[in-house]
Amino acid sequence: MPLNYQDMIAALEAYWAERDCVVVQPYHTELGAGTFNPATFLRCLGPQPWLTVYVEPCIRPTDGRYGENPYRFQHYYQLQVVLKPSPEDILDQYFGSLEAVGIDTRKHDVRLVEDDWEGPTLGAWGLGWEVWVDGMEVTQFTYFQQLGGMDVDVVSGEITYGLERLAMFLQEKRSAFDLEWAPGFTWGDIYKESERQWSIYNFEEAPIDALMRRFEEYEGECAHLLAKKLPLPAYDQVLKASHTFNLLDARGAISVTERASYIGRVRDLARRVAEEYLAAAV
Amino acid sequence: MQLLFEIGCEELPAASVYEAEAQLPGLCDRHLGRRPDQVFVGPRRLAVLVSGLEERTGDQWVKGPPVELREKAAAGFAKRHSVAVEDLEERDGFLGVVSRGRALGEVLPGQLNEILRGLRFGKTMRWDGSGLRFPRPVRWTCARLDDQPVSGHGTKTYGHRFTHGEVDVLSADAYPETLREAAVEPDAAERERLIRDGLDALGGWRDPLGKLREVIHLVEWPLVLDGSFDERFLSLPERVIETAMQSHQRYFPLGGNRFALVANGGDPDTVRAGNETVLEGRLDDATFTFERDLGAGIEALAQRLGSIVYFAGAGTFADKTERLRTLVDRLGGGDASLEAARLAKADQAAELVREFPELEGYIGAEYARLAGFPETVCAAIAEQYLPDSAGGPLPATVPGRVLAAADKIDTLTVSFSLGHKPTGSRDPFGLRRAAIGLCRLATEGGLTIPRELLDGDVAEFVEERFEGLLADVPVEFVRAARAANVRDLGSVARLAQALAALPDERLEPIHTAYIRASRLGEKEQAAAKLDAKLLTEEAERAVAEQLGEVKPELTAVLETGDFEAAVEAGLKLGPVLHCFFEEVLVMDEDKAVRENRLRLLLDVRDTLGALGDLAQIPR
Repeated sequence: MPLNYQDMIAALEAYWAERDCVVVQPYHTELGAGTFNPATFLRCLGPQPWLTVYVEPCIRPTDGRYGENPYRFQHYYQLQVVLKPSPEDILDQYFGSLEAVGIDTRKHDVRLVEDDWEGPTLGAWGLGWEVWVDGMEVTQFTYFQQLGGMDVDVVSGEITYGLERLAMFLQEKRSAFDLEWAPGFTWGDIYKESERQWSIYNFEEAPIDALMRRFEEYEGECAHLLAKKLPLPAYDQVLKASHTFNLLDARGAISVTERASYIGRVRDLARRVAEEYLAAAV
Repeated sequence: MQLLFEIGCEELPAASVYEAEAQLPGLCDRHLGRRPDQVFVGPRRLAVLVSGLEERTGDQWVKGPPVELREKAAAGFAKRHSVAVEDLEERDGFLGVVSRGRALGEVLPGQLNEILRGLRFGKTMRWDGSGLRFPRPVRWTCARLDDQPVSGHGTKTYGHRFTHGEVDVLSADAYPETLREAAVEPDAAERERLIRDGLDALGGWRDPLGKLREVIHLVEWPLVLDGSFDERFLSLPERVIETAMQSHQRYFPLGGNRFALVANGGDPDTVRAGNETVLEGRLDDATFTFERDLGAGIEALAQRLGSIVYFAGAGTFADKTERLRTLVDRLGGGDASLEAARLAKADQAAELVREFPELEGYIGAEYARLAGFPETVCAAIAEQYLPDSAGGPLPATVPGRVLAAADKIDTLTVSFSLGHKPTGSRDPFGLRRAAIGLCRLATEGGLTIPRELLDGDVAEFVEERFEGLLADVPVEFVRAARAANVRDLGSVARLAQALAALPDERLEPIHTAYIRASRLGEKEQAAAKLDAKLLTEEAERAVAEQLGEVKPELTAVLETGDFEAAVEAGLKLGPVLHCFFEEVLVMDEDKAVRENRLRLLLDVRDTLGALGDLAQIPR
């Protein structure tokens, strides 16, 4: 019997906890990816070692499909692992985690396919791969090179499992809605209706004027908090501004030229937070 | 002695593997003095086998300062090379020192590191504190000199990532077989052969997006499998299916609902079943997206173009659409071309194109077809990006050619106006390809493309393409023809061809006259207007008379685009000009006569100049 969704998560967390990772919890505001969690973005700045594993809900308003498409959601989960500095055997450790959830790497075709990552709102990029198991992309693997527009002091390895994809592979399901979450409950039982309602909110109901205003407010608050040398709450304003931008994007309220300028504004804030965070750490 | 040197990496991008493959022979030559017998490259290793290395490196004469600077410079030189001043030798007027050869084993570690650090890649990264940059982390090096180890480098390599671990390489020559026993085919050419044979055995495979080159470096132990998908997906347009197969998954279409995949080992049935599920998922998703686009319809997609930026600084796709319609009109396109231009960019708003950019054009045409637009319109939309390579096919339909030309003119004009001109080999926007395409549309495609549609820089860039494009026409004839007063792009090419087709002896008289007339006429003061009464010599009257006939004839024939006839008309001036230069002294003492003759020559030049700047043509 393949692991159900919650047991799969538990197995991955246990695997990495055994390898000295701190198991932190999801962040408390909307994030587009686990990379935005301060447990990755801020902790990967500077020279301090850091090992962590956590589940992160990813909120991507434009990816919603009203619960009608079994491959696309505006809310789904990643499991994020960060190993800083990246150890020499990082890939072997990762492949071990696949075995831990029941993937026999000798029986399956496991491959690393070039895929470089760029996070324009975080001024971040890295090189790495998408990991395929029998053609299914189950993980994104990145060696961070820059964060907040600065070269990293120490290269971290970031391992991001797409939990729905991985579970679909393990449970041999063609729709995420059919995944067994726990005995008697499917992923769809828990989130299908939520996908429908949130898609309506994201695409049709989110208040454009208020969002525009909020973006400015978060931006202003971030600058204020930076001036007070409070980079941690300042970073939350970056995250809120970033999510607000994503919502405006889903509402079609941002033209392509404005898009670049919004992204630039978020990136600028992220850069200043990163600088302040490093300065405060010294 | 034979050397093996292997750089072991985490999975390299295929592009980096090709970069390394190209550089390794030269690096071996530079640092070891020999080119490798064999280069082995793949995702996890870059290796060379080099034979014929000498056990010791030769003695080397290190030249120092000239003898006469002994006082000043000898001590410093000696110190740098760790010898006493009195040990310096003298050769050919210079002081120097013989650096004794060393055992190969001593110098190799350094030389191998030079090779490793000498590789250059487009995109590199750091992964630890070593400061080394490489496309992906280097995890080991392995070296053997015959059966001896090389200090600073290991003697172990790694076999297939999941079925074989660390293995000993006992000697340099055992390297390839050792790896084959560990389920790694190190020779890229052999992997390619295995993959091609495997694919051939499955039947007629295709590779429309050119993925094979990458696939060779995505596997170390190729396992070629075939799979199939549910026939219900065959209702999707064929290229949507192929793109879903190729762009992410790197599968090869086998026709119908079958496909081939190249795995890196694993249990065939398990791997096949997994990939079939993945492909069906992708096709399911593509169906969903396709149906959403269809639900919106091509007209609604076209309406959304106002919010999609075409090019920063060049407006939206709606603006581009307007420009295309104007250009199509000026290119003489009819209703079908204008309608095609209106819908040409609609698919930029399609979700399927956001997913698979390579479907642009094709899918817009599909959507237009499904919305019931006439086939001429749909075909033009599909053909708008042709020719998409220097030698690729042209659009088959006239509306397609008109639209393709309009699209290329706009792309070139916009890019040049924003300062994105191609430099050297850098041409990120494919402007050379666009310019060549435009030239071919004008020549092979028979499309009349007015030169006035091309701005100065663009015209020059486009017309320069003819220099490489017209077989059997030397570049000077193209340059000559470009200066001619012809209105459309194709005429430049045809005039150049007509000029180049002339035998030397026929071109000679007008060519000489043109050049002499230009030189004399530009140096000296000429009369403003020809005065027939001042023509005193028979030969000059003959020229004036002939010119009076040739000039209107030439203009008229040029107008019709018959360049052979135009050249023939110009040639009529040949005999009278020949006599003129034999018999008439241009620089007459009488100022009025002289200036009148110079005017006559300038009129000759200007008349012949309608055929181009003949001075460009060397004699």
